[in-house]
Amino acid sequence: MDNFDWSIPALGGDDENAIQVPRPAPRDDAPVPMQEDFLPIADEEETAFQQLIRHWMNERHAPDILPGQELLLGRLLDHIGKQTNDVRLLREDPDSSEDEHFRIMLVQTEVERVKFVIRSYIRTRLHKVEKYARHIMKTPELHQRLSKGEMEHVHRYALIVESHFSNAVLRGLPEEQQSLDENMAFMPPMVPAPDKTIAVFAFARTACPPVHLPDGTTLEMTKGQIVLTPYHIVEHLLLREDVKLV
Amino acid sequence: MADSVRQYGELATQLLIESRRSTATDFLLKYNDVLVRSILREQRQLEALIQDTLQIQDANGLGDDPHMPTILLYQTAILRNKRCLLAYHHHRLERLKDMFWSVGGALPLLLSTHSTSTGGSTSMNAPANSADVRSKLSPHEVDFLRSYSDSLLQFRSSVLATEEVDLFAPITRPPKDLHVLVRVIRDCGVIQTEVGAIDFRRGQRFLVRRADVEHLIVQGYLEEV
Repeated sequence: MDNFDWSIPALGGDDENAIQVPRPAPRDDAPVPMQEDFLPIADEEETAFQQLIRHWMNERHAPDILPGQELLLGRLLDHIGKQTNDVRLLREDPDSSEDEHFRIMLVQTEVERVKFVIRSYIRTRLHKVEKYARHIMKTPELHQRLSKGEMEHVHRYALIVESHFSNAVLRGLPEEQQSLDENMAFMPPMVPAPDKTIAVFAFARTACPPVHLPDGTTLEMTKGQIVLTPYHIVEHLLLREDVKLV
Repeated sequence: MADSVRQYGELATQLLIESRRSTATDFLLKYNDVLVRSILREQRQLEALIQDTLQIQDANGLGDDPHMPTILLYQTAILRNKRCLLAYHHHRLERLKDMFWSVGGALPLLLSTHSTSTGGSTSMNAPANSADVRSKLSPHEVDFLRSYSDSLLQFRSSVLATEEVDLFAPITRPPKDLHVLVRVIRDCGVIQTEVGAIDFRRGQRFLVRRADVEHLIVQGYLEEV
């Protein structure tokens, strides 16, 4: 039926259309709905765990530290606690059937896997926090991205690294050379900062507003599109959660 | 040390080569106290030279100063040496942190002087193979590890209020099975598990819940079969 429908207007069209009779247009049309099927259906219905996985992947791919997801983590941890409790009760219940025991095992495995992602997420952030500790200390905008615990750790970590340097090296130097962050011409800065020019793969979760590229052109991503781009180009889209890094 | 024709900054290069070697062989070299000290000495010499030159310059007054290039040369050497020193120490810190994580944050285990005597059978779980880590560290580095570990413990208690998630467990592979078959490599006493207390004795094998013994595997007491 479909084929029949489109062919009639094509044949009955005027000159312009007549030339295009063997046009591949219907072929183009056909896969479109299919593509939509393959897209992650309804992002709104992301479960908490799927959200965490998205943030986890973002965090692992982005060079910079991203806003922490404390609320999400808290919710998941609560959920895990509840699940673990339920599992324990069910296991101790002598009336649980064989079937239920099997399901308990599945739940337990899943819980372990959620824990793995949580752990990896926290550790990834921890790694960045330590790597850029001094940079974070100097940049107040970054402070609100960290949780209270992370912020405290940054302070402590920057302090112990500094005191290690001063004990091991700086104290032995003449006074004129003891500073830790001097910016000399022709030398890279002493405080490492994230390199935002590295390339990342960004996946558009929704249609994105156009972004300006350094060469003057603009890039407008449609939903489901994947681009390879320097991180700083998509940084604000990532913070708005319009794209995710894959 | 024969003070023949040595250029400024040559010692610092040696220091960097050590760091390189350490990365290339994935092995922690002994802290090179002697070399660090001689570079520090060189720094003081250079500073003295600069001060001398500056005094001559002051005496000459301003104007077209023939000593400027000299000062610049010393200054460059000083800066380079300093960067090399800091780089060396930083590189070691990163290595130490890696080792710390690889044993699951068990600092006493890392610093314990007795050799683990696990032989060559230890897998990737114990790259530290802490034969004698402590003797390779400078006292400052031991201090650093202690404070680092303290800071992390504080961090853990503030971020994860529950004990459910073990922050120090490995993150290289996601868990696939709930249970794991382990072989006991070293006695580790009675451990509470899901099915009750188990007394792990060397040579025995158990099928246990992974989450219960994960930390023992990481620390090299148990081995996955």
